Amino acid sequence: MFLRDYGAAGPWGWLTLLLVACAAWASEITFELPDNAKQCFYEEIVQGTKCTLEFQVITGGHYDVDCRLEDPGGAVLYKEMKKQYDSFTFTASRNGTYKFCFSNEFSTFTHKTVYFDFQVGEDPPLFPSENRATALTQMESACVSIHEALKSVIDYQTHFRLREAQGRSRAEDLNTRVAYWSIGEAIILLVVSIGQVFLLKSFFSDKRTTTTRVAS
Amino acid sequence: LALYFHIGEREEKCIIEDIPSDILVVGNYKVQRWDIHKHDFLEAAPGLGMFVTVTSPSGEVLLSKLYGPQGTFSFTSYLSGEHIICFQSNSTRFAVIAGSKLRIHLDIRVGEHFLDESAIQAKDKVNEVNVRLEHLIEQIHHVTKEQDYEREREEKFRKTSEETNSNILWWAIVQTLILISVGIWQIKSLRDFFISKKLV
Repeated sequence: MFLRDYGAAGPWGWLTLLLVACAAWASEITFELPDNAKQCFYEEIVQGTKCTLEFQVITGGHYDVDCRLEDPGGAVLYKEMKKQYDSFTFTASRNGTYKFCFSNEFSTFTHKTVYFDFQVGEDPPLFPSENRATALTQMESACVSIHEALKSVIDYQTHFRLREAQGRSRAEDLNTRVAYWSIGEAIILLVVSIGQVFLLKSFFSDKRTTTTRVAS
Repeated sequence: LALYFHIGEREEKCIIEDIPSDILVVGNYKVQRWDIHKHDFLEAAPGLGMFVTVTSPSGEVLLSKLYGPQGTFSFTSYLSGEHIICFQSNSTRFAVIAGSKLRIHLDIRVGEHFLDESAIQAKDKVNEVNVRLEHLIEQIHHVTKEQDYEREREEKFRKTSEETNSNILWWAIVQTLILISVGIWQIKSLRDFFISKKLV
């Protein structure tokens, strides 16, 4: 999880916030999904809220996972198989519990590390305009633009961090694989070459057999 | 506490947080148990507790406590790296009981900076903006910490890639040398053998 800014206001601001929409929040979790496993998460959403689900596979196998998002009635809103990364935005058409699942059931022995970020609702404004007589002062609008810029910094940082983790995981896999395969190849090379010579020698060693008609 | 998921009664579920050092992580959770008779999750299961274990990247356990059915835990990271937060209920019932599962509501915040609401609600306009600016400055410091940690990780990544590169080169050279030397040995050995058998 990264930063969360409540963007609060005075007492009237809170009241209007409650009346307008549910407070916005984001849940992000990085978890390990074992092979042949499926993990589901549930979230209660109010109708009309704009939500975004974003996920990325960080380590494991081919770095892909199945993802499925269902609404309270069971209708599938989003379904993708073997995706490495995706982002899906939707508006909740009804109240209720929305369910999204990540499945690694197609994999037999690799477990995956999956990151997802589920954002519910829009962030409330820093300086809510309901109870103001005047427009925002310069200071306040500077705060607002810094806030927006920081939000996009958080976004970029998260994406960069995930991509770097994925790249590093691939590099470490590659390194291990190169080491094992090279050692294996060297051993096979030695064994086969030495074995060939001894095998060949053994063809000519049977003195006990009578036929010694050797082509000259 | 909106997001929830289900686990078995004795199952341990872990989540991973890759964070820089010196960051405060606060977690809120609530656990409910499935009631077979009512076919629903009980609101507050008495006696049900949750073991929360936090492991640092070096394997050292930072936090290992038993909390009630609802609780808040927090820890500060000393090292940068992957911290693993594990949840396991203290239920002694065997998982053989069919349909028994737990619902865990979870909310974890990293690097949370607490806005002092009372200071903001003061009528002084300048003060409010002051407080907001201080909050923004703290957030920017957090961004800097994350960026420093990112630099460390990228360096590790680069080292791994370069090591792979030189490994490939070195092993290729070694294998070629083995190939050549074993080839020479083969020919020599066979020649000596045939000479000794008077075939050549």
